[in-house]
Amino acid sequence: MASTDRNVDRRSFLKAAGGAAAATTLAGCGGSPTETATDEPADDDTPAGDDTPTDTPSPTEGGMEPEGTLVFSRGSHSQTLDPQQTTSGEDVKVTNQMYNQLIQFAPGGGGKLEEGLASEWSLEGTTATLTLKEGISFHNGEEFTASDFRATFRRFTDSEYEYYLGDAASGYAGFTLGSWIDSVDDSSDYELTIELTQQYAPFLRNLAMFASSVISEARIEELGSDQAQLGQEYGGAGTGPFQLDTLDNSNERILLTANTEFWGRGPFVAEVIFNTIGENSTRAQSLINGESHIIDGIGAQASQQIQDAGSAELLQKDGINIGYMAMNQANVEPFRSKEVRQAISYAINTEAIVNNIYEGFASQADQPIPPNVLGYNDDLDPYPQDKDQAQTLLEEAGYGDGFSFELATFKNPRGYNPSPIQTAEQVRSDLSDIGIEVTINQQSFGPFLDYTLAGKHDACFLGWYTDNADPDNFYYALLHPQVGEDVLGDSEYMTWDMENINGLNVAAYANREYMTLVEEGQQTYDEAERRSKYEQAGQIAHDDAPWVFIDYAKTLEGMNTEVVDPDTYTLSSIGGPYVNTIQLN
Amino acid sequence: MRSYAQMVSKRFILKRLLLLIPVLLGVGTLVFAVLHLSPGDPARVILGQRASAQEVADLREGLGLNDPIWIQYLRFLWEAAQFEFGESYKIFQGQTVKSVLVDKLPVTIELALYGQIIGITLGIPLGILSAVKQDSVVDHVTRIGALTGISVPIFWSGPLVILLFATYLDWLPTSGRIGATIFLDDTWMPFTFLPEGFSQQLPWFGGPVVISKATEWPLTGMVTIDTLLLQNWEAFISAGQHLLLPSAVIGIYSMALISRMMRSSMLEVVRQDYMRTARAKGQGAKITIMKHGLRNAFIPVVTVIGIQFGTLLGGAVLTETVFGIGGIGVMLVNAIEVSDYNLVQGTVLTFALLFTLVNLGVDITYSYLDPRIQQ
Repeated sequence: MASTDRNVDRRSFLKAAGGAAAATTLAGCGGSPTETATDEPADDDTPAGDDTPTDTPSPTEGGMEPEGTLVFSRGSHSQTLDPQQTTSGEDVKVTNQMYNQLIQFAPGGGGKLEEGLASEWSLEGTTATLTLKEGISFHNGEEFTASDFRATFRRFTDSEYEYYLGDAASGYAGFTLGSWIDSVDDSSDYELTIELTQQYAPFLRNLAMFASSVISEARIEELGSDQAQLGQEYGGAGTGPFQLDTLDNSNERILLTANTEFWGRGPFVAEVIFNTIGENSTRAQSLINGESHIIDGIGAQASQQIQDAGSAELLQKDGINIGYMAMNQANVEPFRSKEVRQAISYAINTEAIVNNIYEGFASQADQPIPPNVLGYNDDLDPYPQDKDQAQTLLEEAGYGDGFSFELATFKNPRGYNPSPIQTAEQVRSDLSDIGIEVTINQQSFGPFLDYTLAGKHDACFLGWYTDNADPDNFYYALLHPQVGEDVLGDSEYMTWDMENINGLNVAAYANREYMTLVEEGQQTYDEAERRSKYEQAGQIAHDDAPWVFIDYAKTLEGMNTEVVDPDTYTLSSIGGPYVNTIQLN
Repeated sequence: MRSYAQMVSKRFILKRLLLLIPVLLGVGTLVFAVLHLSPGDPARVILGQRASAQEVADLREGLGLNDPIWIQYLRFLWEAAQFEFGESYKIFQGQTVKSVLVDKLPVTIELALYGQIIGITLGIPLGILSAVKQDSVVDHVTRIGALTGISVPIFWSGPLVILLFATYLDWLPTSGRIGATIFLDDTWMPFTFLPEGFSQQLPWFGGPVVISKATEWPLTGMVTIDTLLLQNWEAFISAGQHLLLPSAVIGIYSMALISRMMRSSMLEVVRQDYMRTARAKGQGAKITIMKHGLRNAFIPVVTVIGIQFGTLLGGAVLTETVFGIGGIGVMLVNAIEVSDYNLVQGTVLTFALLFTLVNLGVDITYSYLDPRIQQ
């Protein structure tokens, strides 16, 4: 386990910050970074191993001039450079270089929090207080103060604001900030007071999400009524380690140059190019040839290519995600029976799916959250394949003769399900053995989302990459109807004609005991107590089996031997990639 | 006589241009209908998994997707008539479709152009040779080569040449249009040869421009041309190396088609009476073929070239995917995938316009080759 001593967090931060430059920054802001950080959920629960930032000294200690050009190749080009307009991980890889958040996820990927633009923070009751660092400049030269965060927040969520982003704002607006923040007080330049609408334990983690990236107020004002334009060509709005030089849409590349005034660690490379190579194997080849330094989006074949080559290596870490098959209780009557859901969980060979179809780049799931999130219940195991048990359960439930349903799936690979059609075939064949007939309905991801989030499916594959590594981000976001008894009445499941329900709860799950635990977990600030609530919720979800828990996918990256990244900080299951921490040989 | 020919030709072109209107209207209506009748909600795609149903509904309203379909259709027609297609919903979020096309069209056109140049410069001589030396070894080799060229799909030959030239031999780069680390300027200065202090105002679309030594001009977006204009030789070589394989793969396919057409057309022409007459009058074989044969044999070949160019524009998606070139073909497929209505509509209409214009060019070439076609 990672240390439970907060001072260690500070020590590793100082190490990570490295060198004279960072030391001056800290001296300037004073105080211990986490002294008052009384509420850092999951912080102390991060498991050891690959994901924990280590105490290895940084490759270079401060004071060196950034050198060289790093080429980071990926599968698709950015759609926007505005952190408030995107929902795509591809875009975030770039915005995370240009922008910072008040609090950030520590390099390494375990979901620990560390200082961002704020040096101290606390959350008590419904009030969050943050002390901001002084002397940090945006790329446009403006100094960062509390009013920048307020403008950022208002641009994203406040329709009264002159510079409201409006229609262009992504679905993260309410999800991350809007639904939770009542008001932001920026009356002091370096002190932020945020009033919440309710007690909300994950709030500090939400501040670390990419969607909470702080944008220069001066830039917002300059954009005027053209706020959506921040996504195209406009640089200068962030405080991050790299700034925008060229957005080359014709050639699908983005050139960033080092921000030599950066307040944190690095950057050690002078330029970073985010390059696009659509084909996985071509991308791997360009890594091997040395045309690219880092690549991601690696399938089984590409990973083999990289492993066989001497000039590059394959890095992997446990991701913070889940892939599942949800059974929609609103549409399919048999799914309302716990025995039927368990029978289906017993019948499907998830071990074969993970080992053969996902080729081992994932592990079997047993509950709604992966092992590296607070409240993971160690006592649970994946449902083993047991068709006799499944048949018995079906008979107990009165469905011994089977039934039929439609399984909706997306066609193209996604991180948590690299081979959706093959997976669906496996499900169909396993379930036909216990008399359940499955028809597969495959769609492109856009129409698929539309279909499932509107509750039209019988069962569907879906998955989730965490936003903030908080258990609430799984339990409440994916399996809670987000309405109370007044709406649910005495129904034991959610339906899509109910008002204001959570469409992402594609299983239509509404177990009251589970709901109470998750709601309490959301409002509990004491970590031990919180952990215990989620462990119980995990047990209930496991036994209730609203989903067939399929997999926790690994995060992969290919790196050319030219790159010096001893801590593998560019490979991150949350936040990052921390390109500022690496250098080139 | 000459003025009559000119008049006919003008009338002919005008008639063809007017025909563009129903063609584009038909294409526009079709693409609008297909997009709006197919499943998928752009609002959900834009906002993503995390947005609530209410937020999605609000955005639909904001995008005007809740208006009656005929209102949306009329709005689309009205805007399209002014070559306005609004902003891309998703693929280039917030950018106007027009500016996306300005970025992306040259990428595809450049590729198609080189493919076509290779196809024509190889296909026509080979076709002629094959016809003139009918049933010789040259003819057989050309015909077998052409058949192979047509039969081998690009998604197979593409990766194969990459494997050979990029991976094993390491002569050429794997993908892209230019070295990953080479970035070109946005503009160039065409008038640096002018004397110091020279300044002349000239009328231009959207306002007059001042021509002087320091005048900056936008680039074409085609890397091989831009690098030449900028006199950046290193970048030019890199662009050439990158485009060599994809152009060759397209070019060979195109060459196969053109040479086959050229051969059969030529064979037909050499058997005509006027050819025999010319020979009988004592004209040499070469001159007869070049002067009398070629011109007549070209007519069907030009048709193939015209249609082929359109196919290259549209069919470039395979080549673009295999060679990692972010052109308009790949973009269109992605845009359809995420229901980016505006972008799909704008792109398809632009394609239709280009295709019809190329074919208009073909028709004009006909009337030059054979004036009877105008009638």
